[in-house]
Parts: sequence; C-alpha cells; structure tokens
Amino acid sequence: MKKKQIAITLGIMCLLLTIAISVQIKTMNSASSTVSQTLADNGLRDEVLRMKERYDNAYSDLQEAQKQLEQVRQEATQDDNTAKAQEAELKENNMILGYTDVVGDGVEVILQDAETTNLSLDVSTQLIHYDDLQNVINELKNAGAEAIEINGQRLTSNTAITCEGNVIKVNGERVGSPFTIRAIGPQELLYGSLRRAGSYLDLIRARGNRADITKVDDITIARYAGVSDVKYLKEDK
Amino acid sequence: MKKFKIKADVTVVTIVVFLVCIVLVSVMLMQFRTVEQTDITAIENMRESELRTALAEWKNRYEDMNKQLEDVNARITEYRKNIEDNEVAADLIEEELQESNLLVGKTDVYGEGVTVTLNNGDMGVQAYDLIDLVNELRYAGAEAISINGIRVLPMTYIVDMGEYTYIMVDLQRLEAPYVVKAIGDKEELTRVLNLDGSGFVDRAVGIKVSVTAENRVEIPKYNGELDVQYMQEAVQE
Repeated sequence: MKKKQIAITLGIMCLLLTIAISVQIKTMNSASSTVSQTLADNGLRDEVLRMKERYDNAYSDLQEAQKQLEQVRQEATQDDNTAKAQEAELKENNMILGYTDVVGDGVEVILQDAETTNLSLDVSTQLIHYDDLQNVINELKNAGAEAIEINGQRLTSNTAITCEGNVIKVNGERVGSPFTIRAIGPQELLYGSLRRAGSYLDLIRARGNRADITKVDDITIARYAGVSDVKYLKEDK
Repeated sequence: MKKFKIKADVTVVTIVVFLVCIVLVSVMLMQFRTVEQTDITAIENMRESELRTALAEWKNRYEDMNKQLEDVNARITEYRKNIEDNEVAADLIEEELQESNLLVGKTDVYGEGVTVTLNNGDMGVQAYDLIDLVNELRYAGAEAISINGIRVLPMTYIVDMGEYTYIMVDLQRLEAPYVVKAIGDKEELTRVLNLDGSGFVDRAVGIKVSVTAENRVEIPKYNGELDVQYMQEAVQE
C-alpha cells in the first residue's frame, strides 16, 4: 500500500519534471535565436547608417552638380535672347518649386507650447498641433507669401505636414516646439494680417501658448533638401 | 528484517524526492530567467522591423537622389558639348523648361489618380476640410491637385468667406460641391484617404465625402500669373 503511494508520487514528480524541462528547452531554443537576432540588429543598424551616409554624399554631389549646371546653362544660352529668357524663366520656376535657396524680406513667426501647463485645463490645448501649423501657413499664403519654411523645412508642392502620435513631421522630417516659421513676401501685409485681432495667432495665444511675429529683412530660406520626381503626371497637349 | 527494508526504502525515496524537488525548482528558476529575457527580446524584435523600414526608406531616398544626380550630370555634359561646338543650346533649354513648367503647374496635365467630392452634410464644408484634404493627398504622393478646376500650387491659400457659405481659393469664389482631383498612384491615394480611423474619410465628420479612383484625371494649368516679386535667388558663396 505504501509502495503504491510512493510510486504514484514519484510518477507525478517525474511528469512535472519532464514538462518543466521540455518547456525550458523550447524557451532556451528561441532565446538563443534572439541572441543571433540582436547581432543581426547591429548589422542592420550599421547598414541604415551607411545608407544614410550614401544619401548625404549623393545630396552634396547633387548640390554641386546643380551649381555647375546653372553655370554651363548660362554660358550656353548667353548668345541667344530666346534662350536667355528661357533660362531666366527656368530660374524663376526653380525658386517657386523650392529647388534654390532664396532671400528676401518677410516675417518670422514663433509658435511654442505653453511653458507651464495648467493641468486643470485640457493639456492638449496647451500644445501646438499640426493643424495650428496648417492654419498659420494658410494665413501667410493668403497674405501673399512666396516662400515658407518650418524649422528649416521648405514648403514645396509635395510638402505634407503630418502628425504621427505626438511627433510632427514636415517633408518627412521631425520638427518640434518651438516652431519657427519664416516667410518671404510683402512684409507689411504679412505682418499686418497675422497681427490683426482674431487672427489665428490670437487663437493660439488664447490657449496659453506663445505665438510671436516679427518683421525680418533679408531672410534666407534654404532649398528643399530632397528630390521630387513625377511618375504619374503627363502633359496634356 | 522486513520492517528495516521498508524503512530503508522510505529513506531512499525521501532522498530521491528531495533531489527531484531541487532539480525541479532550479529548472523552474532558470525557466523564469529565460522568460524574462525573451520579453526584452520582444522589444528588440520590434526594433528590428523598425530598422528594416528605415533601411528601405533611406535606400529609396538614396536611389531617387542618385537618379537625379545622374540626370543633372548628363545635362551638364550636353551643355558642355554645345558650348564646345559653339552652338546655342536652344533645344536643351527648351526641354528643361518644359519639364520644369510641368512641375510648377504651367501646363494642363493628366494621369491616373482620384476624384474626391466633398458636399455639405449636417455641417457645411469648411476651408480647413480642404486644407486638410490637400495636405493628405500630398502625403499620399499626389503630383498635381485641383479644387473645382483651380490648380493648387505650393502657395495656394484656401479660406472661408461669408459665414462658411463659400470658400476662396486663390481669389476664386467656390461653392459646394467641392470636387478635388489629384494625380498620383491611385491605389496609394485611395488607401491613405480610407485609412481606418485616421484617414480623411473617417475624420471628416458632418460632411459628405466620396472617393473614386480613376485611370485618367485631368487637371488644368494654373490660371494666372506666376510672378515672383519678393524673393531672389540667394547668392551662393
């Protein structure tokens, strides 16, 4: 009778042990495979960095090549009036498209999240959101802006302002508070229309955020640091 | 004698059970540690997929940049040849200008894309709906956009007029329904607009939205003067 009891206890023990060991072995297996994955991770990280470096190099090469192109283009068109006019139009197009650095008088708008958040109010209203940026930019365009940048990101015909979680991106690049929006255009008009009572800046200020505008002469706005290629657009002749 | 044997048996069994218990406990402890590790590697795995996305993204950007660089270099060679042969580069500049005019919006264009129609529902369509939609279309890769036949350029503004009864787009007064056309990858455009919860279709509450993918969308050229008055090309040092 006692022997039987002992045998049963031992049996149960053995069973538990076997289960525990087999579970253990399975986990060990997957754990060791993650070790090699971490190694692969580092390789991947290096690869990303290398690719970014190649991109940066190609971009500086491109800037160099575009300067050269402008020079040879000018040289090749200087003896013909039609070609010269076309060359000038091309230059103007490139300014509008955001492919060249431009300079001119305009305004600088600074938007900043409220410094001390008042927790009794909705915290979300005390932040600058992407729709605030959209609205301020729209007002600048309405007042006649010719070139605009947000934290160094030039607005082009392909520029999107997006909000991914709590990250705002312009041209796919992260931007954060304080937001510095600079615009070239009719300075008085830009300044006056954004200063008027009830302008969008007022609304942002009313929520406790900072929204300042100043006139600035000779603003330089850098070109769009990327390429825009068209794949679907065809001329309709 | 028999009694003694049983006693010895019990001792042996006790020792065996004790040993088994120790082994079991240590196996369990090891087990727990490995499980803890596997939790960390779950995050590591997520990082890996993020790295893969980043790598693909940089690779794409590098390739685009490289293609542009090759194009520019090819142009330089052509212009140089013209200069050497003492010819006016009339054809070359003409070709470049045509491409550039296509990008700026000085030509009628067509291509695959989407037509998005916004109509008043419980609420009227507001300027911000259109601003938001244009932004989202650009994010989805739209290469040309029009609202009720008005070409949308980088500096085009969209504002509410007269208690939301109509909307001004670049000095033109528009009324509902607003027909927004975009040329680009029609599948991607449709997919982004219809993203569950975060796409324009789901976000636009109170107005009626319909999205149709089309094989041929026609968008007219910008109907106005594109003159640059305030910005100049920045002098390169």
